[in-house]
Amino acid sequence: MKIEGEFEVEAPRSEVWDRIRDPQVMGACIPGCEAVEQVDDMAYRANISVKVGPIKARFNLLVEVLEERPEHTILSRTSGEEGTRASVVTSDNVVRLCDTDSGGTRVDYAADVSVTGRLGKFGLGIFRKKADQLAAQFVENFRARLGVTA
Amino acid sequence: MTEVLSPLTVDDAIALLVEHDEAMPLAGGATLIAMRNASLVEPSHLVSLDRIAELRGIDRTADGTIRIGAMTRHCDTAACAELTGSLHVLRRAAGMIANRVVRNMGTMGGAVANADPAADYLPALACCDATLEIAGPEGRRSLSIHDYVDDWYETALGEGEIITAIMLPAPVEAPSAYRKIARVSGDYATASCAMALDPDGQGLRVAIGACGPGPLRDRAGEDALRGKLHDPAALAEFAGRLVALADPVDDVRGSAEYRLRLIPRLVASVLSELAPQKETA
Repeated sequence: MKIEGEFEVEAPRSEVWDRIRDPQVMGACIPGCEAVEQVDDMAYRANISVKVGPIKARFNLLVEVLEERPEHTILSRTSGEEGTRASVVTSDNVVRLCDTDSGGTRVDYAADVSVTGRLGKFGLGIFRKKADQLAAQFVENFRARLGVTA
Repeated sequence: MTEVLSPLTVDDAIALLVEHDEAMPLAGGATLIAMRNASLVEPSHLVSLDRIAELRGIDRTADGTIRIGAMTRHCDTAACAELTGSLHVLRRAAGMIANRVVRNMGTMGGAVANADPAADYLPALACCDATLEIAGPEGRRSLSIHDYVDDWYETALGEGEIITAIMLPAPVEAPSAYRKIARVSGDYATASCAMALDPDGQGLRVAIGACGPGPLRDRAGEDALRGKLHDPAALAEFAGRLVALADPVDDVRGSAEYRLRLIPRLVASVLSELAPQKETA
């Protein structure tokens, strides 16, 4: 399942880059994310809880930065499982930053997500809707963190 | 291990749901037990509503309102002779749910509480302007079906709340119908349409299912269409408004784009069933 989107923030690219590369900032902005723990400069662990109707899931994730071009591009891989249950999630992610005409930053993101196990039995169509909602919430939190409204 | 509890009253059921954090109410179990077997839900307790007399039966009240107890099974709704005219749509929807085994098991309250966007009751109930009777720790309340679905699989039901009955306005003499496009007979809808004509045949009520988190209804659009049911441009405009309200998923049953294309066709085809266009001389 591919999830793609973009958003703009009225903050300079270097500032946006610093926040995106800070696991604690990202953890605070991602809905349902808790217990962010830095493994090394290129990896961190986090727990994420997601709820769709009666179905609740809590993933232990490892996020590894595979490649980065400072202030421009991050390629990362997210992998994790759901406690003792058999659901496994993996995601290959690309985040790109570029300047906007107004001196802000445009963030383009794309993730190729696969979910197997018990949650794979549930429709991926709903996961996509949920992902879009989580992304919108993330953008709102991220902007609030940067102290900008747009 | 899940423990099954079988209270005899609504108040006891709610007390049990409040007492056990991870408890879930169990209606017919047609969906919930399958989800539990697939480990999608893992309730500590299932509070069975099966022995609560108040939740059973279909009754007509003094003012003609029909009360369907939440534990009424699909097979009983599908066979209910009280659901005539403008309410026939609900009977048709009940008869098209899944297969006979599921219809003998599943209940209206359970199906509505689960709020699957592709299931059959919600559009039919939205077309009927139904009201839900809800009981919970804070007491009882009534809620319009139009205010019920909040998001994908999310409803206005709070912690410890259950649906006790579905109330339908008294039926009027006017044709109504339900149709769904599905991959095979009995599957969840790719898209569905519940429609009832006004008694004078000049207007209609339409709800579209499986094209958003909840049923799509455009009452202002319905008002604008009054008197113009057979005006192709007006009908196309009305269907376009429903398409604009839609937010369908891409899934195994069809792409979002395909679903959007089904909406105008469903509206036109159900309308032609309910109000065949007279031959012009």
